[in-house]
Amino acid sequence: MDSRSWTSTCSGGTHVVGESRVPIKQGGDIITARQQGRALAAQLGFSSADQTLIATAISEMARNILVYAKVGEIIVRPEHNGKAGITIIAHDAGPGIPDINRAMQNGYSTSGSLGVGLPGTKRIMDEFLIVSEVGKGTTVTMKKWKT
Amino acid sequence: MADPRQPRTTLALMREMGLTEEVVARRKAFLEFGAEDVERLRGLHDLAAQYADGVIEDFYSHLLSFEETQKFFTDPAILARVKAAQKQYFLELTQGQYDAPYVEDRLRIGVAHERINLPIELYLGAYNFYLRTVMLRLVEGYKNNPEQSTATLGSLLKLVFLDMGLATETYLFRRERTIREQQEAIREISTPVLPLRERLLLLPIIGAIDPPRAQQITTQLLQSIRAHRAKVVVMDITGVPTVDSAIANHLIQTVQAARLMGATVIVSGLSPEVAHALVRIGVDLSAVNTVGTLQDGIEAAEQLLGYIVSKAGDTGTSHNPAGS
Repeated sequence: MDSRSWTSTCSGGTHVVGESRVPIKQGGDIITARQQGRALAAQLGFSSADQTLIATAISEMARNILVYAKVGEIIVRPEHNGKAGITIIAHDAGPGIPDINRAMQNGYSTSGSLGVGLPGTKRIMDEFLIVSEVGKGTTVTMKKWKT
Repeated sequence: MADPRQPRTTLALMREMGLTEEVVARRKAFLEFGAEDVERLRGLHDLAAQYADGVIEDFYSHLLSFEETQKFFTDPAILARVKAAQKQYFLELTQGQYDAPYVEDRLRIGVAHERINLPIELYLGAYNFYLRTVMLRLVEGYKNNPEQSTATLGSLLKLVFLDMGLATETYLFRRERTIREQQEAIREISTPVLPLRERLLLLPIIGAIDPPRAQQITTQLLQSIRAHRAKVVVMDITGVPTVDSAIANHLIQTVQAARLMGATVIVSGLSPEVAHALVRIGVDLSAVNTVGTLQDGIEAAEQLLGYIVSKAGDTGTSHNPAGS
C-alpha cells in the first residue's frame, strides 16, 4: 500500500515489469518489499529457489535499514544488460557503517543479531556493492542474474 | 495499540505525522510561499471579511444542490455549525499567521472530514468551487489593479495547496493507521495454538513473519506450554514463504526458551527453498529440531511422548494409544 511503482505496459496490457520503490519505515514494510521483489523475480522467470533467495536478500537488507537507520528505501528493478536479471538497491540516510570490512565478517553484529545478514546476503547474490559513509548513510546495490 | 476511537489531540497527530517546524518550512519553501505572500494575503483580509458571508452562502448552496454532499447536512444545527466553522476557516486564510497553530488547525479539518467519511474527491471538488467563488470576488475587488490581483491570487493558491496537502495527508495517515491496527488484529487471531493430544501442542504458522508477530508467537507459545503442561510442540512453518536470519534467530530463541520450560519444539515444514536459502546465507539451525513435513513432525512428537499409533484392527500392536 505504501509502495509506489512505475510500470511499463506491454502490448498485452496486463504484463507489468518495472521498477518499484518501497519506503521502509516499519516492520510491515519489510514484507511489502519482499513481496515486490519476489513478484518481480517471478515475472522475470527466476526459479522458485532463486525467488526465495532474492526475497531473503531483500528481507535482510530491509531489516538492516530498520534496525540501524530507522528509515530508508528498497528499490527493485529488472536488469537487461545483455542477460536478464534483477537489481535491488537498499538505501538509507542513517548513521553509516564505520568499518565495512568488519561488518562483512560472519558473526559480527552490533545489534545482537546472528551477524550473517551482510556476508550471507553477499553470498546469495551475484553482485554486491556496499557504499557507506559515517553520518551520511548506506547504499547496498546487488544483482542476481538468471541462470 | 490505542483504541482508534479514542480522541487524540491534533498536536499529537502532528508529531506522529512528523510535521515538525522544519518539515512545514520545507513545504512552504517548495511552494515558494514567502514573506511577500504573507503580506499580500494580509492585505486581502479586509476584502475577505467583507465578502465572507456571500462566499459561504454560495458554497453551501452548491453543496446542498448535490446529493453526494447534501447528506452531510441533514441536520440544520449541523449546517449552522459548519457554516460558522467555514467562515472562521475563510478568515484564517488571510489573517497573516501560517505557523504551527495554523497547521494544527488545518489538520483538525482533515481529521473531521475523515471522521465523517467525506470522500476525497468531494473534498477536492468542493474546494475547487470554493476557490472559484473567492477568485471572482477577488478579481472584482482588485479590478483597478490587475497586477495586484494576479499576484494575490497566486499567493492564495500557494496557501490553499498547502492546506489541501495537509488535509489529504491526514486522510492518508489515518487510513494507514487503521490498516496497521487491522494487521495487528489479524496477527492476534492468526496464530492458534492447538492442543493435539495430552502434552502435545501444534502451532501452525501461516504467512509472513515480521518481528512483532515473531514476538507474539513466542509469547503465545510459552504461555500455552504452561497452560497445557506441554512436553512437545510441533511448530509448522509450511505456510511461511520466507525466513531470513532475524526470523531464524527468533525461532532459535523460541526453541531455547521452550526448552527452559521443559518442552521440546520440533519445527516442521521448512520448504526446500527456505532450507536452501538459510544454508546459503549461513544460518546455523542445528540447535533446532527440524523435520520435513507436518506429518513427520507429529510422528516424531508422538514418539517422544511414547505414543504408538496404529490402524484399528492391526494385529500385534495396541490400538489404545494413550493407555499403553
